[in-house]
Amino acid sequence: MNSLDLQLQQSNQRAVGTQRRKLSWGRVLAWCFVGLWVFVTLFPVYWIARMAFSTQKLLLADPTNPFPAGLTLDAFRRVLGLLPLQMVIDEGGFPKVMHFGEYLLTTFIVTSAITIGSTIFNAMAAYAFARLRFPFRNRLFYLYIIVQIMPAVLGLIPNFILIHSLGWVGTLQGIIAPSFLGSAFGVFFLRQFFLGINRELEEAAMLDGDTLIGIFWHVILPITLPALTTIFVLAFMTSWNDLQWPYFAGGSGHIEGTTTLTVAMLSFRSQTQRGLPDYTGLMAGTLISIIPMLAIFLVFGRKIVDSIQFQGYR
Amino acid sequence: MKFSKKFSIAASLLGLGLLLSASIAQAQGDAVTIRYALWDSGQQPAYQACADEFTKRNPNITISIEQSGWSQYWDGLTTALVAGTAPDVFTDHIAYYPELLSKGQLLDIQPYVDKDKVDTSIYLVDPSLWVKDGKRYGLPKDWDTIAMFYNADEFAKAGITADDIANWTWNPTDGGTFEQTIAKLTLDGNGKNGLDPDFDKSNVVQWGFEGGPGDASSGAQPDWSAFAASTGFKLTDGPWATTYHYDDPNLAATVQWWADQHLVKGFAPGSDQLGSGVDSLFLAGTAAMFPMGSWDIGSVTSSATFKVGFAPLPVGPQGRFSPINGLSDAIYAGTKHPDEAWQWVKFLASPDCANIVGDHGVVFPAIQTGVDRAVAAYQKKGLDVSAFTTIAADKDHTYLLPMTDHISEITNMLQPVLQNIFDGQVKAADALPQINDQINALFTTAS
Amino acid sequence: MQASRITAYKRPPALKLRPRTETLIAWLFILPSLVGIMVFVFIPAVRGIYLSFTNSDLLTRSDFIGLQNYQKLLNDAQFWSSLRITVEYVLFNIPIQTVLALTLAILMTRLTKSNILRGIVFLPYLLPMVMVTMVWLTLLDYDFGPVNSVLQLLGLAKIGFFNQTTIIPSLAWINTWRYAGYVALLFFAGLQSIPGELYEAATIDGANEWQSFTHVTWPLLRPVTVFVLITSVVGSFQVWDSVAVAASPSGGPGGASRVIFWYITNVAFTQFNIGYAAAIAVALFVIVLVIALIQMWYFRADSSDLG
Repeated sequence: MNSLDLQLQQSNQRAVGTQRRKLSWGRVLAWCFVGLWVFVTLFPVYWIARMAFSTQKLLLADPTNPFPAGLTLDAFRRVLGLLPLQMVIDEGGFPKVMHFGEYLLTTFIVTSAITIGSTIFNAMAAYAFARLRFPFRNRLFYLYIIVQIMPAVLGLIPNFILIHSLGWVGTLQGIIAPSFLGSAFGVFFLRQFFLGINRELEEAAMLDGDTLIGIFWHVILPITLPALTTIFVLAFMTSWNDLQWPYFAGGSGHIEGTTTLTVAMLSFRSQTQRGLPDYTGLMAGTLISIIPMLAIFLVFGRKIVDSIQFQGYR
Repeated sequence: MKFSKKFSIAASLLGLGLLLSASIAQAQGDAVTIRYALWDSGQQPAYQACADEFTKRNPNITISIEQSGWSQYWDGLTTALVAGTAPDVFTDHIAYYPELLSKGQLLDIQPYVDKDKVDTSIYLVDPSLWVKDGKRYGLPKDWDTIAMFYNADEFAKAGITADDIANWTWNPTDGGTFEQTIAKLTLDGNGKNGLDPDFDKSNVVQWGFEGGPGDASSGAQPDWSAFAASTGFKLTDGPWATTYHYDDPNLAATVQWWADQHLVKGFAPGSDQLGSGVDSLFLAGTAAMFPMGSWDIGSVTSSATFKVGFAPLPVGPQGRFSPINGLSDAIYAGTKHPDEAWQWVKFLASPDCANIVGDHGVVFPAIQTGVDRAVAAYQKKGLDVSAFTTIAADKDHTYLLPMTDHISEITNMLQPVLQNIFDGQVKAADALPQINDQINALFTTAS
Repeated sequence: MQASRITAYKRPPALKLRPRTETLIAWLFILPSLVGIMVFVFIPAVRGIYLSFTNSDLLTRSDFIGLQNYQKLLNDAQFWSSLRITVEYVLFNIPIQTVLALTLAILMTRLTKSNILRGIVFLPYLLPMVMVTMVWLTLLDYDFGPVNSVLQLLGLAKIGFFNQTTIIPSLAWINTWRYAGYVALLFFAGLQSIPGELYEAATIDGANEWQSFTHVTWPLLRPVTVFVLITSVVGSFQVWDSVAVAASPSGGPGGASRVIFWYITNVAFTQFNIGYAAAIAVALFVIVLVIALIQMWYFRADSSDLG
């Protein structure tokens, strides 16, 4: 029996071991903390729902009511573009024509392209930084660290001018391009995990005659699946919720084919200098737009849990 | 290989993106599309109707309206100007106008005005605001004045009559009959109003009045601006002035009275309560009245569950005053279609468009016939807006908002001072003269 | 794992890969990422740095004016005040957020493996910052917010959460609420790479939960901790979304929430002084860089105790 098999066995035993813990005050306290945090997390979400199911008028008239004021689905119908404009105006909402399906498709295309592209390219670069030896490796990595620290605002306008000179303002590739090739954050994050991987596995594979690319594909990627899934999910969420760049690069929300959901939702914010936002529309829109993300998180969340076994290979 | 498969998915997604965006780039023939930007989505239907009428008359020019809320509007416009992709025609506001002008972003339309013999005397708000050194950078599109928005149900309950509010008076010393009205409308938890000797100002359930410290960038336009003006105060000596008069004792008295309604009297909410904005307190029935601009008529009345009335501002020592402010439609200096853009601006500033906009009852157009239509449209909704229109027609008692260089820097310096006065940390009489010196120094040292 | 690969252990060690091949493959792997970083981050940022030495408004002029912007910066009271406000924000945000996230991550591995809990903890990050801020504005409202309603029910005084003194802690809390789950997930991923046997060994040695934290978790989590701290401090210094929503155009009550990013956009987009805005951005970059270097030196990021 070799050491790997032994480790596998141990990890299986450990999984059983976690169940055998006795109840203590510490655990009670810990559960209380968890319960408190769950409440602190869920209550604002309930508050969003409360506003989303209200009518704008009654919500403003009775702001302390803990339940939806005038329980209605109108805000959702408004966001989905199913309510005639005059009715929207009568209800105190902002008269904005919504093309929800189109925004959703745009967001999905942008987010998928960015997430898939950046995860792959980040993993490749992170592997090289963590494992391969080549000239200027450390100096190049410092560049990544510095880049990561650079305030985004420093490059916003120059970047916009770049995209504009490519003729990409108001196009999907204009929104996607800057994030498609990955980020310093992603490379940094994955490198930290790759560093922690036991070298023996790679050496074993190398002795087996595997190429470097093969090792990357057969050994590194499976082992780091939790980290990869994490960075994938994070990239997805970040890109889905991104506002500033899609707003500027997508043509300030005026071009239907390049308006993402978050940008479209801006039309429910204050229209005049000190005006009130369209709370009900905004909150209904928020709720609908997080559903796809919630689904993806639940799918991959399970994957993160499943892949816990991989740590036994270390 | 699995790897390349994944990659090809990414690549094909990107390809799909390219395809989609290609279909967006519209094929253009001889027809010209003029991009027109505005910020209030409430006004979009009115201007869309104008655009439809315009295209009917000029079949080769299509108007594409781009609307975004106030803050996105200006961020987006700035970025677009930098990239050279700004809309051909856009709505201009005096808070941004001086900067846009000095950066050469606005087209001089005086030659067009001369050629087409546009009569600029028909506008209710002084069109010379948009003229500098003989060049013209826009035509007026609308105007707004300030009046008192009030909760008619609460006023009736407190026994305040139409006569009371038609002639209420105000002065910075004792607040006049206006302050008496505020006191009457302020209720504590025991149902006692502000005139009652047992009134408990630490337990107020309904405020008689509300108003924030004021937005420094507009000289506190909907807030204390008009009250200060009614004492004879003038913030500047006119457009492009290079001195401010924040050191005027009349102003200090006005601002202090304003702050004391909360700090001393307990008739008005303070900063904490005003966190969610004046509209929120009013719509929730917690505040009985507040001064606000005519641009807010639509949003307040459509959201209110009670009857909203509009009263003229109180008569001050020197009479009743209101600031009048208007927007203009400006042409982007970098437009590729200046002639067509001018056609559109000319139409926007014409009685025909003013009438269409007036019929929608969302804003007061810059031309009298349009105003009449707007008044009628509001009437149909059961709203009497004479408090705004009467003062607007009285040219001796309206004044323009401050329009000078350095507005943004002045705002940055002044806002904390106004807040501190409002929060009771400093006295207006001490703080305002001090900051005025710093403000005026901007004009002597910088550039 | 296939059997063939495991048996490979019995073979004698073979030659390492030739360095030239390794270099070639390394560059191949890095190339896409490097192109992205250079084209879309580094070069634009260098351009931004160049702009800081000009009086550019990107519209009418762009003259080289040397260090004038930086001289102006030193005497600009608004800049120093924004810097102070930003630091205050970071100090309210980072310690609480980090401790909270680490606690949650540990509880998610050691106390319960409930998938639902993980989903809930991560939930706030699914909401865009703009919406999160707006919801908290209503929750913390003085008259109408449920938080103050509860305080009143308990017989306590109501709190104004958005006045001159409280707005920065409140905004820091809103940020903490949204990012705690996100940071917890980063810690969580890091915790999973700590071998379970180490905890068992600790338990066998009679260590309690706190001791196994100080002796196992904390040292082994170092690479992740330094990563989390650096990225969250960098992000915190650039706080913008919540301020833009919660603060009036003039920067909150009396300008109390004029963070440095607010000032940069104010100078750039309202005053059209792009050159000066770039100089402030560069100053922000230098400050953040120094802080990051201190953190890295303190935690010695490169040395993972796992080797």
